[in-house]
Amino acid sequence: MIELKHVFKRYPLGTEALSDVGFTLAKGEMAFLTGPSGAGKSTILKLICLLERPTRGQITVNGHELGRLPARRLPYFRREIGVVFQDNRLLNERTIFDNVALPLVVAGMTGDEVRKRVLAALDKVGLRGRERGFPLALSGGEQQRVGIARALVHRPPLLIADEPTGNLDAALSDDIIDLFREFNDHGVTVLIATHDLRQIERLKKRVIRLGAGHMLGAA
Amino acid sequence: MKAYFTRHAQVFMRTLGEFARSPAPTLMTVILIGLTLALPTGLYVGLLNLQRLSQGWQPHGSLSVYLKKGGADSAAVVAIRRIPGVATARYISPVQGLREFKTASGLGGMGLFGRHNPLPGVVIVAPTRPGPRSVALLATQLKTLPGVAHVQSNLVWVERLDAALALGRRLVTILATLLGLALVLILANTTRATVASRSAEISVVRLVGGTNAFIRRPFLYIGALTGGLGALCALLVLEIGLIALEGPVAALNRAYGAHYRLTGLGLEQALGLLVLGASLGWLGARIAVARALRQSEG
Ligand SMILES: Nc1ncnc2c1ncn2[C@@H]1O[C@H](COP(=O)(O)OP(=O)(O)OP(=O)(O)O)[C@@H](O)[C@H]1O
Ligand SMILES: [Mg+2]
Repeated sequence: MIELKHVFKRYPLGTEALSDVGFTLAKGEMAFLTGPSGAGKSTILKLICLLERPTRGQITVNGHELGRLPARRLPYFRREIGVVFQDNRLLNERTIFDNVALPLVVAGMTGDEVRKRVLAALDKVGLRGRERGFPLALSGGEQQRVGIARALVHRPPLLIADEPTGNLDAALSDDIIDLFREFNDHGVTVLIATHDLRQIERLKKRVIRLGAGHMLGAA
Repeated sequence: MKAYFTRHAQVFMRTLGEFARSPAPTLMTVILIGLTLALPTGLYVGLLNLQRLSQGWQPHGSLSVYLKKGGADSAAVVAIRRIPGVATARYISPVQGLREFKTASGLGGMGLFGRHNPLPGVVIVAPTRPGPRSVALLATQLKTLPGVAHVQSNLVWVERLDAALALGRRLVTILATLLGLALVLILANTTRATVASRSAEISVVRLVGGTNAFIRRPFLYIGALTGGLGALCALLVLEIGLIALEGPVAALNRAYGAHYRLTGLGLEQALGLLVLGASLGWLGARIAVARALRQSEG
C-alpha cells in the first residue's frame, strides 16, 4: 500500500530532511511514524500525498509509482487518500457540512448521496447535529474531528494523519486514536505521525522510528 | 448528463451566493465594465441614427437635370421619362423655379431680375435603383440627351456622407476592440485578486482531489456574470442617455417641422451585447485563473 525505497529529500534552502528512508506499510496495516521534532515525519507524509516530491528514491502508494504519475492523474490519486492535518486546514467561511462534503463534491457527487455520507461521517466523529455551524465555533478537538470526518467521508483505502492529537487532552486523544483504530479494523490502511508516546504504548501497533531524517528501525 | 447539469446548477447557485455576499468590489467592477461598454455602444447607436437620418434625407440619391434654355422643355421631359432607370421625373418650369427661389430666399418683393427670368427648366429625377453606381450611370445617360444642358446629382454629398459614416464605423470598431480588450483585462485583474484571496481554499480543494477544471469553474461563472451585468449596466447607461436626448431632439423636430425619433439598440443587438459582455468576462477570468493555477501547481 505504501512503499518507500531509498528516499532522500532536500528542501530548497538546503536542509537535508530525509536521507535514505525506506519502509513498507502493507494494505490494511496501521502504524505510527514517530521521532523528535524535525526528524522528518511531516516530510514523509507530504511525499506520500505528493505535496512534495523526493530528491531521490522511489515511492509507491496504492499501486501508483509517484515519480511516474502524470500531473492530470494527481487529483484522482489524491481521492484515494484521506489526509488529516495537525492544523486541520478547514475552510472557516464554509459550514461544517460543506467542509466535510468537499471531497465528495470535487469528485462530482451530488444531492442526497452527499448528504447521507456527510451526516454518517459526522456521526462517526460524534458531531452529528453540528453540520450547520462553522469551524471557528468549535473547540480544537472538535475541529480536529471535522478534519477526520472530511478525510474519511469518501471512504479512501488509505488514511494518513499528521499529529492528529497534537494539542488535545488525554481523553480526547484516546477518542481520536480509537477512531483511527476502528477504521483500521474495517480494513483502512492507517499511518499516523505523532510523538504522543502514550498512544503508541496504548495501541501496541507497529512503530516506524525516525531520527534526524534517518530510519531508526521499523519495529 | 443530468448530474452534470445539477452540478453546474449547484456551483452556479453558490457563485450567486458569493456574489451577493461581497457586493462592493463587484458592483464597482460591474459599473466600470458598464461604462467601458457604454462608450462604443453609444457611438454605434449614434452612428445608426445618423445613417437612418441621412437615408430619410436622401432616399434614392435624386438627380437635378437642367434643361437647355430656349429649347423645347416638354420634349426633353418625355425623353427623360423614357430612360429605363428613371422612376419619376418632376418638371419645374422656369416660372415655378423663380417663384420657389423668391419664397425660399426671401428676395421675392425686390424685383431683382426685372422682367427677365434667368432660370432654366429643371427636372428632378428619382432613379429606380438607388446606390452611387447606378445613379452615376443614370447621370451619364441623361447628359447625352439633346435637350439637357447639365446634370447635377446629389451623389457627391451622399458619397461624402457614406465615407464619413464608414470612417465612423471603423472608429467604432477600433474603439470597441480596444475597450473589449480592456474589459478582458479588468476581469482578468479582478479574478487574479479573487484567486489570490482564495489561495488557502484552493490548496485544500486540490488536496482533496479537486481538478483544475473544478477549481476554475466558480471563477469563470463570476467572470461571465460580472461581464454580463456590466453589459446590462451599459444598456442602462445607453437608455438613460437616449432619454436625456429626447428633449433636445423634440426641440429640433419642432424647429424643422420634422418628426425624427432616436432609436436605441434592438432586442437582438441588446441580447448580443449581453452575450458579448458575458463571453469577454468569461475569457478574462479564464486567462487569469489559468495563470494563477499554473503558478500554484503543486
Ligand atoms: N518547506 C520547508 N523548507 C525548508 N525546510 C523544511 C521545510 N519543511 C521542513 N523543513 C525542514 O525539514 C526537516 C524535517 O521537517 P519535518 O516537518 O518533516 O519534521 P517533523 O518530524 O514533522 O517535525 P515536527 O515533529 O516538529 O512536526 C526540518 O529540519 C525542517 O526544518
Ligand atoms: Mg511535523
